[in-house]
Amino acid sequence: MSLIEVDNLSVTYSAKGRAVRAVQEVSLSVAHGESYGLVGESGSGKSTILRAICGLAPVSGGSIRIGGEEVPTPRGKRFASRVQMVFQDPYASLHPRHTIDSILSEPLAIHGMGDSDALVRRALSDVGLPANFRFRYPHQLSGGQRQRVAIARALMLAPPILLLDEPTSALDASVQAEVLNLLNRLRAERNLTFLMVSHDLAVIDHMCDRVLVMQHGRAVEELTRDALARAEMTTAYARSLFDASADRMLGAL
Amino acid sequence: MSLLSVKNLRVTFETETGPVQAVRGVSFSLGRERLGIVGESGSGKTMTGRAVLRLIRPPGRIEADEMRFDGIDLMAASEGQMRALRGQRIAMVMQDPKYSLNPVMTVGQQLTEGLRQRDRLGKADAVKRALAALEAVQIRDPERVMTAYPHELSGGMGQRVMIAMMLIPEPDLLIADEPTSALDVTVQAEVLSILDALVRDRGMGLIFISHDLRLVARFCDRVLVMYKGRVVEELAASDLMAAQHPYTRGLLNCLPRIGGSRGPLPGLDRSADWAV
Repeated sequence: MSLIEVDNLSVTYSAKGRAVRAVQEVSLSVAHGESYGLVGESGSGKSTILRAICGLAPVSGGSIRIGGEEVPTPRGKRFASRVQMVFQDPYASLHPRHTIDSILSEPLAIHGMGDSDALVRRALSDVGLPANFRFRYPHQLSGGQRQRVAIARALMLAPPILLLDEPTSALDASVQAEVLNLLNRLRAERNLTFLMVSHDLAVIDHMCDRVLVMQHGRAVEELTRDALARAEMTTAYARSLFDASADRMLGAL
Repeated sequence: MSLLSVKNLRVTFETETGPVQAVRGVSFSLGRERLGIVGESGSGKTMTGRAVLRLIRPPGRIEADEMRFDGIDLMAASEGQMRALRGQRIAMVMQDPKYSLNPVMTVGQQLTEGLRQRDRLGKADAVKRALAALEAVQIRDPERVMTAYPHELSGGMGQRVMIAMMLIPEPDLLIADEPTSALDVTVQAEVLSILDALVRDRGMGLIFISHDLRLVARFCDRVLVMYKGRVVEELAASDLMAAQHPYTRGLLNCLPRIGGSRGPLPGLDRSADWAV
């Protein structure tokens, strides 16, 4: 059975009285321990799918199941302890006036988990940050360090599922490599399931087992990692996206 | 003769803990070509671009042994002379259209402002020029975009509006600071081909600042690789694969590749001599 099942999901916003169909009848399923990627240009609805799963976007049709159960609305504590999200912009996703310590211990307090002192210290060391960062503020950290804090926060409740929304696109190449390595290590250690959005096919290829190509809110084509590397896409759009990423191939620059 | 020549450029900021050098002795010259400046955040690439336009506010200081643009000594030029150069002859496309366009003016007002004030054009002529500029950057519906406010545009559109605005006075040198970083690969290709055509057709000089090594290699003629305010390597873009400097090599190696191994990506070793 799949851990994440999204069935015929539609998301419709209304803007200035006009309906904007951000996601239209998209289905996907992610097995336990799998890493699944979503690619497409901006506005293709890939981030909206993650937001819909978290209850941050108005779902107008279809269903979302986690571990076989329909997700409740509002999502609630149990959902939060199973699914957590890491956002794109590490400068915007951490509270500027909270210390790292209070950012990391807040989920523990909400869920009534004791021994937050030890858990926060462990969380910092797990993401490779020194213990003395604990009482700093986000503005005293670099972008890569902030993203590590965001990952640590997402893992505080030990959820089996992480939703990753362009987790490295705001970072330098060398820092991106460090964060991707961190995510892969954590996934292997904790048997995590990833649902990851990126516009960079090379990042998706490095991180994911399967990938769904999206355009204009619709699913275009699903590819396995092998099919992607062998360029075995059947739709013209997936092909054009692949061709635009030709410089990211092995052997190219 | 080169269009721009910079020798031993230094940019210093006074801070509470003493002076910080953001740019530490950068030298380069530029003809009518595409020069890429790459480096990570904090490497001083944006400061180098801004220093050429003397757009560094006190307490920041610009020093250079020489900074000449088309025979004009930029270090000695008065503020009035600089103002005449900025926009007219040297233009800069800033990184983020969200913060660099005026949020309370329509695109049309912003595009025609310079034409009306500086070139003393009548309203109808200014609008005509602005529409042509938007068309030149492949905006499909220029009339609608003219009446739109910046927040009503997507990132790619905003970026193209900025480029259009900078190109109206037909500058000799364009400094583009991460002009495509916020854009999708497909839109990115469009913006690059617009810039490319301008260098080719108008003989404009272009300084292309980016953190994306692969993009710069594909698009530029020559590349400066910066680290901590210094140029660590200068090479022809086509030779980037054969880069010698460990920093350049490290930047290349840490990128994931389609079809590559899924083992940990190599990190960047910053402990060597060059990194201090």
